[in-house]
Amino acid sequence: MTAYLFLAPALVFFGTFLIWPGLSLFVQTFHNGGVMSPAVFVGTENWERTFVDPLVLKTIWNTLRYCLMAIPAVFVIAMLFALALNSIPVGQTAFKTIIYYPTLQPILIAALMFTFVLHQDFGVLNIVMRAITGEPVNFLGDEDLAMPTIAMVEVWKGMGFWALLFLAGIQNLPRDLYHAAELDGAGPVRRFFQLTLPLLKPTFFFSVTFATIVNLQVFDSIFVLTDGGPFHSTASTTWYIYRSLFTFSEPGYGATLSFVLVLVVLVLTAIQSYAFRDKS
Amino acid sequence: MWRLARRKRNAVSLKPTLPMVTVSYGVLMFAAIISIVPFLYILSTSVKDTNSLFSYPPEWIPDVLYWGNYAKLLQETSFLNWTLNTFMIGLAVTVLKLVIDAMAAYSLAKLQFAGKKTVSAVLLLAVAIPVAALVIPLFFLVRSMGLLNTYWALILPALANPLGIFLLRSFIVSLPDDLIHSARLDGAGELKIFAQIILPLIRSGLVVHAIFTFMLQYTNFLWPLVAIQSESRQVLTVGISSLKSNFVVDWGLISAASLLATIPITLLFIALQRFFLAQSLSSALKG
Repeated sequence: MTAYLFLAPALVFFGTFLIWPGLSLFVQTFHNGGVMSPAVFVGTENWERTFVDPLVLKTIWNTLRYCLMAIPAVFVIAMLFALALNSIPVGQTAFKTIIYYPTLQPILIAALMFTFVLHQDFGVLNIVMRAITGEPVNFLGDEDLAMPTIAMVEVWKGMGFWALLFLAGIQNLPRDLYHAAELDGAGPVRRFFQLTLPLLKPTFFFSVTFATIVNLQVFDSIFVLTDGGPFHSTASTTWYIYRSLFTFSEPGYGATLSFVLVLVVLVLTAIQSYAFRDKS
Repeated sequence: MWRLARRKRNAVSLKPTLPMVTVSYGVLMFAAIISIVPFLYILSTSVKDTNSLFSYPPEWIPDVLYWGNYAKLLQETSFLNWTLNTFMIGLAVTVLKLVIDAMAAYSLAKLQFAGKKTVSAVLLLAVAIPVAALVIPLFFLVRSMGLLNTYWALILPALANPLGIFLLRSFIVSLPDDLIHSARLDGAGELKIFAQIILPLIRSGLVVHAIFTFMLQYTNFLWPLVAIQSESRQVLTVGISSLKSNFVVDWGLISAASLLATIPITLLFIALQRFFLAQSLSSALKG
């Protein structure tokens, strides 16, 4: 009895603000309207439209494209930083502090800061570009460059977090194996690929799963930097969900896309836990 | 004993070579520069008159420091309101969530009851639900409760996130059962055991949880953007982003706002650095 009482407050909020919205999300996929006027039942219309709507398909493709750029990039860079941090004799804390600093800021502030860094006239990155190529680069106004630029901002903001996470993983690895490997004549590169990477599998499982769930919802940086443009080249799924509620006034349609997002996340999480399962 | 000796000797032999150390410092200098330059750049922008922004080549340190951007930010926008709202909501959520999650974590870690496995499984599954996908139903729910555009709209839904329960549970599980048994034999009630024995022992877990929760609120954007309409009730992130939507973008004003917004979190970081850098990460791994 006491056990239930201790659990009750958490379950009340969990049920009201997570389970209930989750269930009503499903119901809403069969309705439309509701922002200004009452919601109307529309059957499977939203579902039929979703998978043939070019804009919706584009937002799904954009989101996946973004994840495929941002997640591998941030992991490789963070791993490089973690390995570097692990091999220096002094100054580790100072470097850790500096590299972690961008991670602390809301992504929104990071994105706003990058409007200055990327600005065509006075952006510091464009001052560098002008010095090298003589031409400023229109990072956010170019259809092909806009999404990689968003990914770059997110990588900048996330690299410190992942670097410190990987460093913690590396420092927790059993030392003895490394001595054995060294006695066998394995150089640092081979030690990294044959020992460090395989041993870090549990860290990677957590990291890939967590990064996928977070990055599939990319919104804040897009809202500030491009608002989905140019020509919807940075329109993400969450961006469309937000717009469907306030701009397009089609919450039922947005709910359908939200439901698709939930399914994509659950399926990817399941695949990842299968791929990373302990084979022993 | 010989193992310890061997470990010491080998630790010396595994020392990275000189070229590796040099390359590492090179990589880290690069990392440090790209981490810090954007902050220095907006600092420089914020003390410049917007017109002089466009001069080329740019001045990193202007001859005359211009404080007009900060004065305008504090006098003509709701910046102070936004900051206050963010901290009030962040603190309210953190305190409430700490209590609620610690209680649930204790129940799941040390008490026996029917349906425990099901409850854990449902909570764990919910961790994978993307919050962005719930914005639309949450909007209608909060509106039907009459809470739209109130602080409660930001506080109550934040209490539903189950991640913190698992974090605290991992701290409580490792406490010895005997501690609780002997307290029960002494006639202590569950509430007393929880408040006087469990909570003091998981202090570091509570700090990590508090930082984690507060940071999540501080950085929250999409939900306040949806749930709050009146400018004076808005939180910092959405408030600052609204400065950019004016027809003529006031770059000086935005840079001043972005820079000021980094200060509270920097102070918090300096005060609680060891929790940020070490413990939050290793406990995130466990959870």
